[in-house]
Amino acid sequence: MGGNVTTTREKPKPLTISISKEAAGHVGHYAEQAGKPDAQLRVGVKGGGCSGLTYVLDLVDEPQENDMVLEEHGMKLFVDRKSYIFLAGTTLEYSGGLNGKGFVFNNPNAKTTCGCGTSFGV
Amino acid sequence: MGNSPVVEIDDQPGAALADARGRPLPGFYSSVAEEHRALTRDVALLDRSYVGRLSCTGEDALDLLNRLSTNELMNLETGRGTATVLTSNKGRILDVLVVLKLSDRLMVLTAPQSRKKVAEWIDFYTFVEDIVLQDVTEETAMISVAGPKAAQLLSGLDGVDVASMGRYDSTQVSIGGVDASIFRTDFVGPHAYDLLVPAADGPRLRDELSSQGDKAGLRRVGLEALEAVRVEQGVPAYGRELTEAFNPLEAGLRELISFTKGCYVGQEVVARLDTYKKVQKELVGLRWDADTAPPPGARLLLDGKQIGVVTSVVRSPRQMKAIGLGYVRKAHAKPGTVLSVELGDGLAAAEVVALPSR
Repeated sequence: MGGNVTTTREKPKPLTISISKEAAGHVGHYAEQAGKPDAQLRVGVKGGGCSGLTYVLDLVDEPQENDMVLEEHGMKLFVDRKSYIFLAGTTLEYSGGLNGKGFVFNNPNAKTTCGCGTSFGV
Repeated sequence: MGNSPVVEIDDQPGAALADARGRPLPGFYSSVAEEHRALTRDVALLDRSYVGRLSCTGEDALDLLNRLSTNELMNLETGRGTATVLTSNKGRILDVLVVLKLSDRLMVLTAPQSRKKVAEWIDFYTFVEDIVLQDVTEETAMISVAGPKAAQLLSGLDGVDVASMGRYDSTQVSIGGVDASIFRTDFVGPHAYDLLVPAADGPRLRDELSSQGDKAGLRRVGLEALEAVRVEQGVPAYGRELTEAFNPLEAGLRELISFTKGCYVGQEVVARLDTYKKVQKELVGLRWDADTAPPPGARLLLDGKQIGVVTSVVRSPRQMKAIGLGYVRKAHAKPGTVLSVELGDGLAAAEVVALPSR
C-alpha cells in the first residue's frame, strides 16, 4: 500500500427496520379505511410459512410489553425483540399497480423465500 | 439419560440388555419367538418409557404445532389426537409426532432420540405465541399393552373401557388404584395402548397389569421382538427411515399430510412433489436368506447402478429369514423385484416384498 489515497465512505446505517414513504402512506390509508386513523404498525414474524417464517403486519393502538418502537415518515413501527433479530436491516416497501404485490419486505436476512413471497428462511 | 423408571434391570438376570433407544432395556425376557407371538397373536406388556413426551400448554400451542407440521390439527377435540410429520423447510422429515389433546394440555410424543431436538425446534419458531413446553419424559413412565387381545384384556379390568377408543383417542383409567392416562396409539399395528403415569407409579402399574393379565397370557416383551414386528409391519422409525434424507411422501406417510390446510414449514416442497409427481423413492419391504443379510446403510443395486438403500434389518422369528426396510426408486419398488445388495466385498440377492411383510 502506498501513496495517499483518500476515500469517502458512507457511514454504515444502523441495522434497523425501515418503511418507505409510499408504504407508510398506504398503511395510513388502510388505517383510515379500517376506522383506526391513529393506529400504528406492528411488524413481526411467526413460524410456519412454507419456507419456515412468515411476515406479520398488523394495525394496533399500542406496543406490547418489551416491543421495540421505531419511527419513520410519521409512522410508528412496533416489533418484538425476537422478530427484530430476523428483520434487522429490512425495508418495508409497497409495490403498487396491476402487477403489484402490495407490501413487500426487502429482508437481507432471507436466504430463501417461498413462491408467494410471504414466507422466508434464514 | 437414566434407566427406565419401570424396568428393574437387576430383577431380570436372564434378560439381554439392548440400548438402541438410549436406555438400557431388555432385548428379550424369555425368547424373541415367544414374545413375537405375544405381540402378533396374543397380548404383550412393554415398557415404552423411552418415548419422548413433551407437555404443551398455552392458547397458541395447537396453532403453532399446526403451522410446523403436515397434518390438520386445528379441529382436534379433547380426547382425540393424530400423528403429524415435523418437516424442515425443505420438506424433509425431522420426526413423526403424535399429538394428543388431553383435557388440560397437549401431550406430544416424539422419537426417543429426538425429544430435545423437537423441543428446540418448537422453541425456535415461538415468537409471541402463548405456549409453555415441558419435557416430562423423565418424570413419567409409559407402560404399553399391545396385541390382538389387548383391548379384550384392558376392557376386562375394573375401571377400564377401551372398546370404543379409536386410534389416538385418550381417556383416564384407574388400574388397581393407579390413575393413568391411556392412549390408543397402535404403534406397531392395530390394538396398541400406552398408559402414562408419574414415574413413581410405573413399577406398581406394571405389576398390576402383570398380575391381572397373567390369566389372559400377558407376556412381557423386550426390544428385539418389538423391532421385528415393526419391520414386518413396515412402520418407519426415527433414525432409520425417518431422517432428513427423506420426505414424508417417500416414507409412505401420505395419510399424515393435509393438502388443504394451508401453509406449514416445508408445505410448498411437499405440495410440489405431489402435484408434479416428483416423488422418486418408495419405502419397501426387503427379504434375504438369513446368512446374507446386509447391515443398514448397504446400497441396493440393479445392473450395477444404485437404485436404493437398506435402512432396517431384523431376523423375523415368524419367517425364519432376515427381513428389512429400505428406500428404492419407484420404478423398481414392485414386490417380487430382485435386486442386488452390497454385502462385504460382494453382492447378494435381495427381494422386494409387499408391506406388511408376511
